[in-house]
Parts: sequence; structure tokens; C-alpha cells
Amino acid sequence: MTWLSWRQQRTETLITAGLLALLGVAFIPSGIHMADLFAQQHIGRCVNRQTDACSFIIGNYANSGGFIRSLLTGGWLNLIPGLIGVALAVPLLLDLENGTVRLAWTQSITRRRWIATKGSLAIGTVLAAGAGFSVLFTWYQQPFDRIWGHWDEFGFEGIVPLAYMLFAIGLALGIGVLWRRTAAAMVVAFGAYVAARLFVQNWLRQRLVTPLSATWGPHASGPSISHAWVITEGPSDRAGHLFSDNSNVIQLCARASGTGPKGGRGLDPACMARHGAGFTHLVYQPASRYWEIQSLEFALFGGIALVLLAFATWRLLRAD
Amino acid sequence: MSAALETQGLGRRYGSQAALQDCTLEIPRGSVTALVGPNGAGKTTLLRLAVGLTRPSAGSVRVLGLDPQADAAEALPRVGFLAQEHPLYAGFTVEEMLRVGRELNPGWDEEAARVRVAGIGLPLRKKVRSLSGGQRAQVALTLALAKRPELLLLDEPVASLDPLARREFMQSVLEAVAERELTVVLSSHILADLERVCDRLVILARGRTQLVGSIEEIVASHRLLTGPRDEAENVSRMHEVVRESHAERQTTLLVRANGHVYDSHWAVHDLDLEEIVLANLGQDAARRREAVLS
Repeated sequence: MTWLSWRQQRTETLITAGLLALLGVAFIPSGIHMADLFAQQHIGRCVNRQTDACSFIIGNYANSGGFIRSLLTGGWLNLIPGLIGVALAVPLLLDLENGTVRLAWTQSITRRRWIATKGSLAIGTVLAAGAGFSVLFTWYQQPFDRIWGHWDEFGFEGIVPLAYMLFAIGLALGIGVLWRRTAAAMVVAFGAYVAARLFVQNWLRQRLVTPLSATWGPHASGPSISHAWVITEGPSDRAGHLFSDNSNVIQLCARASGTGPKGGRGLDPACMARHGAGFTHLVYQPASRYWEIQSLEFALFGGIALVLLAFATWRLLRAD
Repeated sequence: MSAALETQGLGRRYGSQAALQDCTLEIPRGSVTALVGPNGAGKTTLLRLAVGLTRPSAGSVRVLGLDPQADAAEALPRVGFLAQEHPLYAGFTVEEMLRVGRELNPGWDEEAARVRVAGIGLPLRKKVRSLSGGQRAQVALTLALAKRPELLLLDEPVASLDPLARREFMQSVLEAVAERELTVVLSSHILADLERVCDRLVILARGRTQLVGSIEEIVASHRLLTGPRDEAENVSRMHEVVRESHAERQTTLLVRANGHVYDSHWAVHDLDLEEIVLANLGQDAARRREAVLS
């Protein structure tokens, strides 16, 4: 059974390995280059230093990441875990679509064993791919994370990529056992993967743990937000109510300072203070919560994946 | 010894549709049984229930004395099954398909498989997807036979084959039966394919069994009677009338005879199996019409 599972999954495994190899070829040389630059230009000295010189040096450094780095920061590579997860569901879905399950299930092995062997090979491959993906980008991101913290490329680092891939294969299998049309199930599963990732990234992640917030006046300095994830920051009143860009106060004080209304900058401080808006309100997740939020998001996607996989198993055991 | 296949009030529903209902039959070991009926009669469902691909929604099924689902680990190695579409892994070579058989079946007879494949002239290195329909059927049959089952279930094995491939396939089945103790159940909607090979018959229509028995007995018991119309009543009291047709003064009855038919008023003719099967399937249709009318 192991041989059969492997033989059926060979193409998908090679595609996955090829995809990861391609990422490696793109990111490893660039990663080495960036790590070297980090040392040569003594970027470490500018970590947590808010001087103009350091801003310039760091900006310059980030730009030398070039096209390869823009691939990562553009977010498109978030699709890769979805592609890999869905691809590794294909051998099983094709078996269902082509009716070859009826061949396998009428040999001498039980359906339970067939599911266990095929499932564990697919899931093992997915986890290995997820680990490879995470290791590559966690390594690549090291110098940038030292400058800004781990939050910017949250979905590429740590343990969450494994859960994303599990989630994708769970979706494809869960939909596929119902639908039994491989291509359609792949498309729908991939769409659902993208939608779920966008929802979590843009809305849910910052709410997994209630973020911290702080409000401080014109002459105070706020909390240390080194390596923190700043969710919102802007001019507010004493109670911490933020003023939106098109509120009267902002419009007025922006005009008074002579520059456009641009979130806090270019506002006339005296004018702001006069209108009781001289405060700054900040909502953020401190760096210390990185692993807590990683674990929660891992549990979320991994948990849904387990439910989907259990459903697929149950359907397969009852299918004819 | 338990029967090769035994069902008690077996039924299977898909939603509100009954694919098979109240099916009770027994197929003795060593027999070759034809499972005949029109498309949608429940043949595939019955065979899938027997091999444990499907679970019954009513009644019970036992193969070789075992429950095909609950005792799957014990029953599966002893039952060979060939699904209608002859499912094989299209991207595998014939050689790899043999390996599948070897990996998945502890009782696999590698030598027999090789001899069969060589005998038919199947190219080992060719991919399944480039084989002809007949060759594919032969690969699938090789897999089912080399696992050395005691009971072999073939679902419409020749439906998709051309006449020559049909002959060759049925020849292979016959050879397998001759070689060793093997019970075979094979379904078809075309009786001519099976008549040469089978010694028992099960007729299914609309999910129900119409007729079960040995072909010899079935042929012996069915008679075509032609005689006076006004005496038709008497005959139907003695024998089961399967089909009747009336002319002005003369009546033709196809009966399942209860003992000997001997009556000077009636001309008695023998029937061949095909006529009997068609008449019995027609009986089902007639009953349905009555049911609708009443």
C-alpha cells in the first residue's frame, strides 16, 4: 500500500519539491546577500534607533532586497501553501473521480488501511513542505526581523505555514469527497483558502488577543513599541477617541499648518491642542505576543483542517 | 459449508430511490451464476453490497459466511471483484498494475498472473491508458484472478467490449472456473453472453428478484402452450402463467409448469432460455401496469 500511495502521489510530490526548490533558488542567494550586507553596513547598530541617519540606512538596506524581496512583501507567495495543500489532495480525489477507489477497496486491504496509508503520506508530505517553506522564509527574514520584528511577514514564519497547508489539503479533500470532481474541487478549495487567509490576515489576526492600547499627551512619549505590531496610531482626544482624516478638527488644523491632511503629520500642534486633539492614541500587539498569536492562528487553521480531514475520512468510510 | 453468497431481505436505497429491495437468494459454492436484468435493475448494487463497497439499508448479505463490511479484513482476500468500468490506474504500466495486485493482496499468485499476461500477449511496459478496452478488461480480470479468490464477482464484464474481446474474456473466465474451485457471479443485460458459461440464473428487475434457480430447472419448467381459449383458466389454476396472448379462438400461454404438462387439448413447446428470461422480465412489466391501473 505504501508503494501504491507513493506511486500515485509521485507527480504531486515532485511538483511540490520543484516549487520549494524554485523558492530556494530565488531566496537563498538573496538571503545570503542580505545577511552579508547587514553585517557589512553595521545595520545592527541602527536597530531601535530612531535617528534620521538610521532611517536612511535602513531604508537603503531594505531597498537592496530588490525584486526578490518584493516577491515576499507583495504577498503573492501566500498563495504557495494553498497550491501545495490542494495539489497533494489530487491523488485521492482522482481516485474518487475515476472510480479507481473501487479497484483499491476490493483488493485484500481494508478501506480503513487504505485511507490511513494514503492520508498519512499526503499529510506527511504537506507537513514536510510546510516545514521547508517556514524554515526558508524564517531564515530569509532574520535581518529584517531584527530591524522591525517578526510581524511583517507573519504568514511566512514560525509554525503557521504548516497549518495553512493542512488547511488547504483539508479543504480540497472535504470538498472533493462531496463533489467527486477533482478540478472543480481544487478551484473551490483554493478560492476558499484565499478568502480565509485574507479574512484572518486583515480582520481576525489582530483580534485573536485583545490588543493593547495607549493614549498620551503632546509632551509625553508613548510606550516602547520596538518590534511591536502597530495596528492603529493617530491623533486623538484625551479619552483616546481617534480623529478620522475628514473630521472637522483634522481638516481645520491641516489647513492651519498649510499642508494636506495626512494622518497626524502636517498638522498644526497648537491648533490640535486648542481643540483638545493633541493626544496620540495607539493600538498595538507587543513583540512579546508573537508566539502566542502564532500558536492561536496555528490552532485555528490546524483545528479546522482536522475537522475537514475527519469529515473526509468519515465520508470515505461510507462512500460507495 | 455456508453458501458463496446469501442475502436475506437485502435492500439498498439511495435517497427515495430503491436500487434493490427485499432480495433473498442463495448462490451455492462452485456455481457460475448469471445475474440478468435490464439496466437499473439493481445488479450493480447487489454485487457492490456483496463485496462491501456499499452497506445495506435493509436486510443482510453474507459472502462465504462473512459480513462483507464488518468482516472486511477476512472477507476481502477471498472475494474477487471486477467493477463495470474495469477501473485501473491509467498512468500505470501493466507491470505496475501487477505490482499493485502483489502489494495489496497477501494471497497473490505472481506466477499465474505472469502466465496469464504473457498468454494474452499484454505488453508489460505499456501504460494502461494506451491499451484497448479488451486488454484493459483482461488486466482487470488478471488482478481479480491472481488474488486467488473463492468467489469472483464480475459486474457487466463484457458490456464495453467488442464481440471478439467478449469471446476471449468469457473464455478466460471459463478457463479459470475449470482450473480450480471457483464460484462466479456475473451480471449482464445481454443473456447471450452468459448462457454458454453459467449454470444458474438470477433475474432482477426494478430492484427485485424475479426468478432464481438452476438454468436446467428453469428451462425444464417453462413451457409454451397453445390451445383453446376457453380452457386457459384451467391451466392457470395448475401452473403459473408468465405470459399470455389471445387470438380469436386460440390462446398461447407461457407457463412455469408445476410438474408435468400433459393435456391433449394443448400443444406443448420447449423454450430457450432467452425467451424465458424475456417473458419473466415482461411479467414484471405487466405487473407494474396492473399496479398502476388498480
